[in-house]
Amino acid sequence: MMENMYMKKGLAIFLCLIIGIGFIKNGALSQMQKICDYVKQDPKKLDDAISMTTIQSDFSNNLFARSQLIDFNGQLLDGLQMNDFYYHSSGFIVTEGDYIMTPHKYTSTDYEVEQIANFYDFLSENKIGLLYVNAPSKYTDDSVWDKYGIKAYGNKNTDYFLNRIEQLGIPTIDLRKNMEEEKIDVHDLFYRTDHHWTVPAGLWATQIIANGLNEYCGHSIDVSIYDKDNYEFITWKNCWLGEQGKKASAALVGLDDYTKVTPKFETSYIFKTANGNVEGDFSKFINEDVYNTENDVYMNTSWHYSYQRINCVNQNVEHGKILLLCDSYGHVTEPFLSLGVHEVDSLILRNYDTSKFDLRDYIIKNKYDTVIVCYAQFMIGAHDNVSNANYRMFTFR
Amino acid sequence: MDFTNLLFLFIFLPIALVIYHIADIKVKEIILLAISLLFYALGSLKYLLLFVTLIVLSVGIGRGINLIKRQYLKRVLLVAGIIANLVPLLYYKYTDFSIETWNQLSGQKISLHNLALPLGISFFTFKAVSYLVDIYRNTAVLAKNPLHDALYLSFFTQVQSGPLSRYNELNFCMNSEIYNRGKLFSEGASRFMIGFSKKILLANMLAMVVDEIYATPFENFTVGFAWLGSICYSLQLFFDFSGYSDMAIGLTEMFGYRCKENFIYPYTTESVSKFWRKWHISLSEWFRDYIYIPMGGSRSKHAWKVYFNLLIVWLLTGIWHGANWTFVVWGLGYFVLISFEKLVGWPERFNSKFTKILWRIVSLFFINVQWILFRSKDLISGFRFIKRLFICNYNEITNTRMLLLMRQYGLFIILAIVLSTPVVPYILKKGEKNIITKTTIEVVVGVIVAFAFIWSISLVLSGLNNPFAYANF
Repeated sequence: MMENMYMKKGLAIFLCLIIGIGFIKNGALSQMQKICDYVKQDPKKLDDAISMTTIQSDFSNNLFARSQLIDFNGQLLDGLQMNDFYYHSSGFIVTEGDYIMTPHKYTSTDYEVEQIANFYDFLSENKIGLLYVNAPSKYTDDSVWDKYGIKAYGNKNTDYFLNRIEQLGIPTIDLRKNMEEEKIDVHDLFYRTDHHWTVPAGLWATQIIANGLNEYCGHSIDVSIYDKDNYEFITWKNCWLGEQGKKASAALVGLDDYTKVTPKFETSYIFKTANGNVEGDFSKFINEDVYNTENDVYMNTSWHYSYQRINCVNQNVEHGKILLLCDSYGHVTEPFLSLGVHEVDSLILRNYDTSKFDLRDYIIKNKYDTVIVCYAQFMIGAHDNVSNANYRMFTFR
Repeated sequence: MDFTNLLFLFIFLPIALVIYHIADIKVKEIILLAISLLFYALGSLKYLLLFVTLIVLSVGIGRGINLIKRQYLKRVLLVAGIIANLVPLLYYKYTDFSIETWNQLSGQKISLHNLALPLGISFFTFKAVSYLVDIYRNTAVLAKNPLHDALYLSFFTQVQSGPLSRYNELNFCMNSEIYNRGKLFSEGASRFMIGFSKKILLANMLAMVVDEIYATPFENFTVGFAWLGSICYSLQLFFDFSGYSDMAIGLTEMFGYRCKENFIYPYTTESVSKFWRKWHISLSEWFRDYIYIPMGGSRSKHAWKVYFNLLIVWLLTGIWHGANWTFVVWGLGYFVLISFEKLVGWPERFNSKFTKILWRIVSLFFINVQWILFRSKDLISGFRFIKRLFICNYNEITNTRMLLLMRQYGLFIILAIVLSTPVVPYILKKGEKNIITKTTIEVVVGVIVAFAFIWSISLVLSGLNNPFAYANF
C-alpha cells in the first residue's frame, strides 16, 4: 500500500496546490455564504432560487481560469479529432469548417398542424391575417448527416408540416425556397459557432416577409427600404463565440465574425418599454455595449442578442399593426420589420404560462391586423418532449 | 453534491481538510461528524432530519444492545433496529415499484408517489444493519464515545455509495507512523486524483458512446453497434464505480482513516463466481456475512438448501440495486451462472490452460450480457438488445455511426480496456529493481495522473459531469 511514496507525495502537494488556488481565487467566502443560505432553509419549503444546482452552476460559470480550462479541453479534443464530442452532452456536432450543426429528430407534426389550424380559424373569424414563416436551420438537406451515421429529420418534418398547413390555406413562406431560388448557401446565413442566423440574413429574411405581408395579408410595405444599399454594414472579424461555440471552446472551433447592420435613412420610433414610452431612433434597438472585443468571449453576452426585441411604433410609417410570434431569430427580424410598418410587437410563447396568459385575448385587445408566426424549423416537434424549452411554442392559446 | 463537483473540490474539500487537520485531536471526530452532516445537507437537505433520526436511533439501539445482558432483550432490540432502518428504505425505494407491479397485475391505476430517494439510503441502511448485527454478535469493539458510531454511519466519504465498511474498520490512524509522516494523506490524495480521472476521463467519456447506443432505435442496430454499446457500458460501469470508490477511499485516507478496497480488477476474473470477489467487494461480503452465512451458507446439510440460499442472496442483490424487474432478472441471472459453476465445478476442474482461458472469456461474455439487462429501462428492451448481439437487420456487422464512434472514442476504449487490467501496478513493480527506472516510472506516472486530473476538471467545466451510476442505488 505504501509504495511509490515520492510520486504520491508529489501528487498530494499538487492536489493541495490546485484546490488551494481554487479556494482562494474562487471567492470562497461568498460561496460559503451561499452554502449557509441554502442549509438554513426550511427543508419543506426549498426555494428554487437558492438550490444547490443553481449554486453549483453559478460557481462553475464563474470559475477561476475557466476560459483557459475550456480552451485546454478544446485543444486536446481538436488534437484527438473528436469533433462530435458535444453531440451527446449538448446535441451538436462540429462539422467541416468548424461549422456547428444540430440534427433533429422525427416528429409526426400532428400537434403543430392542429394548433396552427385552430389558431388560423380564430384569426380568420376575427378578420386578422396570419402569415407562417419557416426560418431554416443550419442545414437544408437532411442527408448531410448520413456521413455521420445520424438519421436527421429536420427538413423532412418541415416539408411535411408546411405541406399540410398549405393545404389548409394558411399563407406560408418557406425561406428555404428563397435560398434555393437565389442560390444562397446556408453557411452564408448562419454563424459558425451559434445556431442563429446572422444580422444580414435577418435583413434578407425581413424583405421576403414584407413581400409576403403585401401579397397575402393586404399590406402595402415599401419593400425597397430593405435593399442592401440603404444599410451600413460594419463587420468585426473573429470577435465572439456563439452559444455552442462557448461549450466547444475557441480552441476547437475558433472565433466567429459578426456584422452589424443599420439603416442609412432617418428613423423615428416610440419604444414601449417597462418604464413607459420612450422616443428614439433605430439605434435604440442595438445594445452597443455587447460589441466589446476586449471582453472575455466566454463571459460576454451573445452578440446575436445585441439586437433587442422591443415593442415599438414607427412614426414614419402610418399603416400596419403586427404581432410577431417568434423565437430568438426574431431578435434581428423585429427591428428591420418595424422599419416598414407602423407598429410591431413581439412575443416568444415559451416565456408565457398558458394558464396565466391568454394569447387570443391579447391579440383582440391590442387590435392587431396581422399575426406573423416566424419559427426556426426545429420548433416543429419541440412539443414531443415536455422538458424541451420550446415545448409551448406551438400552443396558441 | 458529488465528489466530482467543482464546488466540492474547490470549496467544501479545502475547508473540511483545513478545519479538520488544525483541530485538536479530541474534537477531530466531532468536526468530522459535523462536516459529514453538512455534506448530507448539501446533497439531500430534504431528508437530513430523517438521516439524523436514523443515526440517533441506530446508535441508541446499538449502544442499548451492548449494555443489556439478557439475550432475549438484545434480540428484540436488534430486530427493532433493523426494522427501523429497513422501513425508510422500503418506503422510499420500493413503494412506486410495488404500485406499478400491482397496477400491472390488477389493471388498477393507483397513482405513483414519485418519491425522491434520500441520499445514500441503500448504503446507509446496510451499514446500520451491519453495525447493529456486529454489536449483537459481540464482534464490534465499540468506542467509548457514541459519536464515533454516528461518524461511522454518516462519514461523508462513504455515505453516498459506500464502500460498505464495517464498524471495526473505521480506525483513526492518528498515532501511527504513516499518518504522522503524511504518508496516508499522500496515499489518499493520489488515490482521489486517480479516481476523479477514472470517473471523468474514462467512465463519462464512455458514457457518451453508451448513451447514444442505448438511445438508438433497435431497427438501426448492427451486430457491431450492439457489441460496442455493451462493451463500453461494461467498462463505463467499472470506471464509474471503481473511480467513485477510489475517491471515497482516498478521501477517507486524507482524513486519517483506512478504508477497505472495493474493486480488484474484476474483469481479470477466472469465473463468474470469482468476479463477485473482485467487484463491489464490500457489498458481496455484506451479503455473505449478513444473509448467506446466517441462512446456512454452503454448509447446509442438503444441497438444495445451498442453492436456495444462493437464490435468496441473488434476488436480494438484484432488488437492492434497483426497484425494477430488470434488476431482479439480473440477480437471477447471476444465481443461475454461479449455481452452474458450483454444480459442475468449473473452472476449478479444468486442467488445461486453454480451457481455463476459454472459461474466462465465457465468463466475461456472460458478465457483459448481464450488464445489458442492468442498463436497460425494461426487460423487453434488455432482451431485444441482447438479441442484437447476434442477429440484426440485414445481418450487417457495422454501420457508419459505429465506425465513427470507434474512431472518435477509440483511444478511450483502448485505454479503458488496458487500465481494467493490473498493467500499471505491474509496471511499477517491475521498475522497483532499479532506482533510475523506478524514479523515471514514478515521474512519468505522476505527470500522467496530474495531467489527467487537470483535463478532467476542464471536462467537468465543459459539461461532462454525469451523476455516478451507483448514486441511484
